[in-house]
Amino acid sequence: MSSNIKGRPSDGLVRQNIVLMSGLLTGPVIAGAKDFESAAAISVVFALITFFSVALCRIVPKKLVYTVRIIIYAIIASAIYIPAYLIAQSLVGDGAIIKAGIYLPVLVTNHVILSKTETRFFQLSYGYMLLETIGYIAGFVAVCMITGIIRDIFVNSQIGSIRVDMGFDVPAFETTFGGFIIVGVLAGLCRALFNFSQKSQKLKSQDGENKEETE
Amino acid sequence: MELFSSFLTAALLAILLQNSIFERALGTNILIYASRKKEHVIGFSLVIIYVTSLSSVIVWLLDSNFSHFKHFGILMPLLYILVISIIYILSLILVWRFFPGLFRKIRTYVHLSVFNCSVLGGLFLNSLHGGSLPEYIGFGIGTGIGFFLAGYLLYIAHPRLNSDLVPAAFRGLPITLVYVGIISLALYAFVGYATR
Repeated sequence: MSSNIKGRPSDGLVRQNIVLMSGLLTGPVIAGAKDFESAAAISVVFALITFFSVALCRIVPKKLVYTVRIIIYAIIASAIYIPAYLIAQSLVGDGAIIKAGIYLPVLVTNHVILSKTETRFFQLSYGYMLLETIGYIAGFVAVCMITGIIRDIFVNSQIGSIRVDMGFDVPAFETTFGGFIIVGVLAGLCRALFNFSQKSQKLKSQDGENKEETE
Repeated sequence: MELFSSFLTAALLAILLQNSIFERALGTNILIYASRKKEHVIGFSLVIIYVTSLSSVIVWLLDSNFSHFKHFGILMPLLYILVISIIYILSLILVWRFFPGLFRKIRTYVHLSVFNCSVLGGLFLNSLHGGSLPEYIGFGIGTGIGFFLAGYLLYIAHPRLNSDLVPAAFRGLPITLVYVGIISLALYAFVGYATR
């Protein structure tokens, strides 16, 4: 296992968040997560497809050329889509599935399965790879749900079935351009917070070093 | 003439009203990656045009023969991925055999341009709209042209979006998403948007 590639499994939440930091899988969040329900449907299907596909794709022999492997990855993901869809249907209901529309099946071509397996996961141990995958999934689910909740509040004055009256509506948030702007601003805020925490950590460690030197 | 007009209407629909990026946000990550280099914008767009238009023919055959099947909807991703995979592998073999120079050029990114949301989503949108074979092909070609339009608009703005004038936290991805959002807003003029 390569030590320089190994990070913490929790990195997927903020530091390597696939949506806000890497810009992957933005489509389903921007245009699919239009409210709490559709965000929940996308999150459930994404979590199931990604976790089980990565777990299976890792077993595909590395000696096959990438041209063939990527096809196998895509077929595995689209086969797992069938049970994932049925599970999501029973968990979130038909209404949410219909609202999510084409953003559920397009999740089979997500880059955590097609690219990360190749560039990163093959270099990690199996158990650690699964932990990292859970980290990436958690990061995606967090962003998708936050976007869905923001839109539900500002467009429908509710979160799921709970009424949240803001006194005003912003119906444009429901549109694709609204989604682009929300996710863009979230990405900027996430990076700003991350940079701030990195700077303060650096300052703390420098202070510690200075104290040690003076002692 | 009627066939040509339905082809053209479907292509214009895919380029403007149902643009895979500005209206559907499909393949945004690939677009952001491709927009760094002009060659990538052209290369990715050509591959997408090629795959979506060829796949559209087979998808039209599948839709017109099997769409009445009860579980067709849930099997669509698997069937469409198989269609894309067959076209991908056969085309790569042909390019490798007859155009080795081109094969060396495209092999670093061809998989990214074939297996992405833009191609698969384009096929799903094609199915949603339905129609005749020329409409399917027109929509497939329009999806790729729409991607090129978005890619070129992003390519020309790339230096500014990554310049020091943009605050560090918003430089790159965040400001690019906001920029695409503003163009998407402008394109809404074609569709029309009513507030409640």
